[in-house]
Amino acid sequence: MEKKGGLLEWLDKRLAVNALWRIMMSEYYLPKNINFLWSFGVLTMLVFAILVISGIFLLMYYKPDAKLAFDSVNKTIMMDVAFGWVFRHTHAVAASIMFLVLYIHMARGLYYGSYKAPREVVWITGFLLFVLMSATAFTGYLLPWGQMSYWAAQTITTLFEKIPFIGPDLVIWIRGNYIVADATLTRFFALHVVFLPLLLIFVTAVHLYAVRIVGSNNEDGIPMTKEEKKVKGIPFWPVFMAKEYFVMSVFLLFFFYLVFFNYNFAMDPINFQPADYLQTPMHIYPEWYFLAYYEVLRGFFFSQNLGLIAFVASMFIILFMPWLDRSPIVSGKHRPLYKIAFWIFIFDFIFLTILGKLPPTGLYAWLGLAGSIVFFLFFAALPIISKIEKSQVEKAGR
Amino acid sequence: MKELKILAVIVVLVLIGYWGIEPLAHSIMHKHIEEAIKKYNLPDFKFSDLDPIPSGLQGNPQAGKEAVKTFCISCHSVKKEGINAPMPPQAAAQSFGVVPPDLSNIGGILDEKYLFNFLKNPQKATENPKFAMPALGLSDQQAIDIVAYLKSIAKKNMSGKEVVEEGCVRCHSIKYQKIQALSPPDTMKKYLGKVPPDLSVIYKAKGEEYLHAFINKPQAILPGTGMPRVGLDKEAQEKAIAYLEEIADPHKEQRTKVGIIVLAYLLVMVGLTYAWKRKIWKNLH
Repeated sequence: MEKKGGLLEWLDKRLAVNALWRIMMSEYYLPKNINFLWSFGVLTMLVFAILVISGIFLLMYYKPDAKLAFDSVNKTIMMDVAFGWVFRHTHAVAASIMFLVLYIHMARGLYYGSYKAPREVVWITGFLLFVLMSATAFTGYLLPWGQMSYWAAQTITTLFEKIPFIGPDLVIWIRGNYIVADATLTRFFALHVVFLPLLLIFVTAVHLYAVRIVGSNNEDGIPMTKEEKKVKGIPFWPVFMAKEYFVMSVFLLFFFYLVFFNYNFAMDPINFQPADYLQTPMHIYPEWYFLAYYEVLRGFFFSQNLGLIAFVASMFIILFMPWLDRSPIVSGKHRPLYKIAFWIFIFDFIFLTILGKLPPTGLYAWLGLAGSIVFFLFFAALPIISKIEKSQVEKAGR
Repeated sequence: MKELKILAVIVVLVLIGYWGIEPLAHSIMHKHIEEAIKKYNLPDFKFSDLDPIPSGLQGNPQAGKEAVKTFCISCHSVKKEGINAPMPPQAAAQSFGVVPPDLSNIGGILDEKYLFNFLKNPQKATENPKFAMPALGLSDQQAIDIVAYLKSIAKKNMSGKEVVEEGCVRCHSIKYQKIQALSPPDTMKKYLGKVPPDLSVIYKAKGEEYLHAFINKPQAILPGTGMPRVGLDKEAQEKAIAYLEEIADPHKEQRTKVGIIVLAYLLVMVGLTYAWKRKIWKNLH
C-alpha cells in the first residue's frame, strides 16, 4: 500500500488513499477479547451485497404491474430466464437470513452492552438500519403479488387506520387506493428498489464511521484508548478480516445450502396463488422476522388500540436501551442480574415468534398476552437492575 | 472452544425457532387436513364409501357401446368412434355450466368402481349435489357394460400430461403451459361458485400430500368446494401429480446439480480461508 510511485501514489496525492486506508482498515484496531459474534456486522454487509446483486438481476425481468407481476416472477424469472430461479431463491433466502444475522448482531450488542456510552450513535444508527431494513422487507414482500403478499400488505396498512384524526386518510394515501391495488404495488416497488436502499447505504456509512470513531466494544466491556489498542489489539486489516473471511465462507456454505436445498421457509406456499382481493386466506401472517412484533400486536387481544400501541412500542423501545440501562458496568458478562433478564428476553422473543404464526385463539391468545408482557418487563426492569448494580459498585468502591 | 460453545447456542436457538414456525405451525394450522386424511385414510383409491360392483356382474363392451349410443351421446362426444358432440362447446357450456367431456379416453383414467357408481348416481359419486350430469336410471348391467366399453376404447398408458388434459382442463387452465380451460370462466363461475384456480404452479401452493388427498376426496379436505370428486385411479392420479410437479418446478434437476457444485466450491473456500486465518493469527499470541 505504501509503495513509492505508480498509480497508488498518484491517487494518494489527490485523494489521500493511504490515510483513508489506515483509518478505515490497517490502523483501525480491535480489542483481542472479542469472539466471532463480532463478525456479524460484516456478515450483514455481505448479505446486503448479495441482496443488491440478486435484486438487480431480478429487476431486469420483474414487471411492477398488478396484471403482470405474479407471472413475471413465477413464469419469466422462475421458468424462462436462464438461472433466473437462482436469483429469486437467493434474494428470498437472503432477505430472510438478513434478519437472522441482524438479530444476532443486535443480541450481541445487547448482551455485551455495546449500546452504552460512548456508542449511543452506533446504536441509534444501527436501530435506524433495522427499521429501514424492515421497511425494505415489507415493501419487497408485496412485489411477487401473491395471496400472502397482498393480504399481509392489506392487514399491515389497515393498522394505520387507528391513528387518531389522520388514520383513515393516511391509509388511502399509503395505498394510493381504497384497497391495496396496482397503485400500492408501484409505490412499494419504487420504495423497495430505490429510496430505501439509498437510505440504507447512507445510514450504513454513518454507522461504520461512528464505529471507527468510538471503536469496538469487547467481551468484558473494558474501555480502551487507541494507544492501548495499538499495543493490545489487532488491526482490522489483515488480522481481523483474515478471521472474517473464514467466518464468511462458513456462512456462505450454510447460506447456499439453504438457497439450493432448503428454501421453502422463505417462500410461503400461499404466495404461489395470485393475489385475489375477493378471497382472504384462512391464515394471514407476516414472514418469520416480524412474527414477534405481530404477536405483541395480537397479544392484547381484548383491546385493538392497546395492541397497536404495544406493537409500535415493541419496535421502538429498543432504541432507548442506552437511557433505560444506566448501570456503570458495561458487559453482560459481569452482570449476573442483567444476564438473567437478557436470556428471559431472548427466549421470550423466540416464544413470541413461534406464537405469532399460530391462530390467536384460546390458550394461544393468553400465552401471547403473557409473552407480550414479559417482552416489556425486560425493558421496565432495566432501570431497577441499573440501580442495584450502581449501589453494588459504589459499595465495592468504598 | 468458547467460539464453538457460542455457535452451539446460536444453532440450538435457531433450530427451536425453525421448529416452531415450520413443523409446529404447519401441524396446528393444517390440523383439519391431517385429521381428514386420517379419518378417510386418503388417498383412498378403493373409494370405500361407494357401493361395490355386485359380484358376478360381467361387463360386455359390445352391449356397452349400444348403451352409450342410447344414453350418452345426446350430450357427450366419443371422437375416437367418430361420434361428434351434438352441440358446439360454447352452447353446451351455456346450458350445463361446463363442456361435457369427450368419452374417448375417460375410461383410461377413472377407477372402475368409481365409474360404475358415477353412472348410477353422479351426484353421490362426485359428492357434489350440483353436479351437472343427471342420474340416468341405468341398471347395474347397463352401467357395467358402459364401464367395460369405455375401458376397452381408452388409450392405454397415458402420460401425466394426458391424464391432466383428460381429467382437469375442462375446468382448470394451465396458463404457463398455454392450456386454456375448455369451459368459459363465466359459466363455470355460475356453476361452481368461482372460477377454478389455474394449475400452473398449484403444486407449489398446495404440496403433494394435500393434492393427493384433495383430488381423491375434495369434500373431505375443503367442505363446500365446487370441485367434484373425479375418481382418478391410483396410477392416473400419481402421474397427474408428477406432471403438476414437473411443470411447477421445471428446474429441479438443474438446481440439485448447480447446488452441489456451489457447495463444493464453498467447501474449498472454507479450507483456504481457514488456512489463511491460521497463518495470519499464528504470529499474534
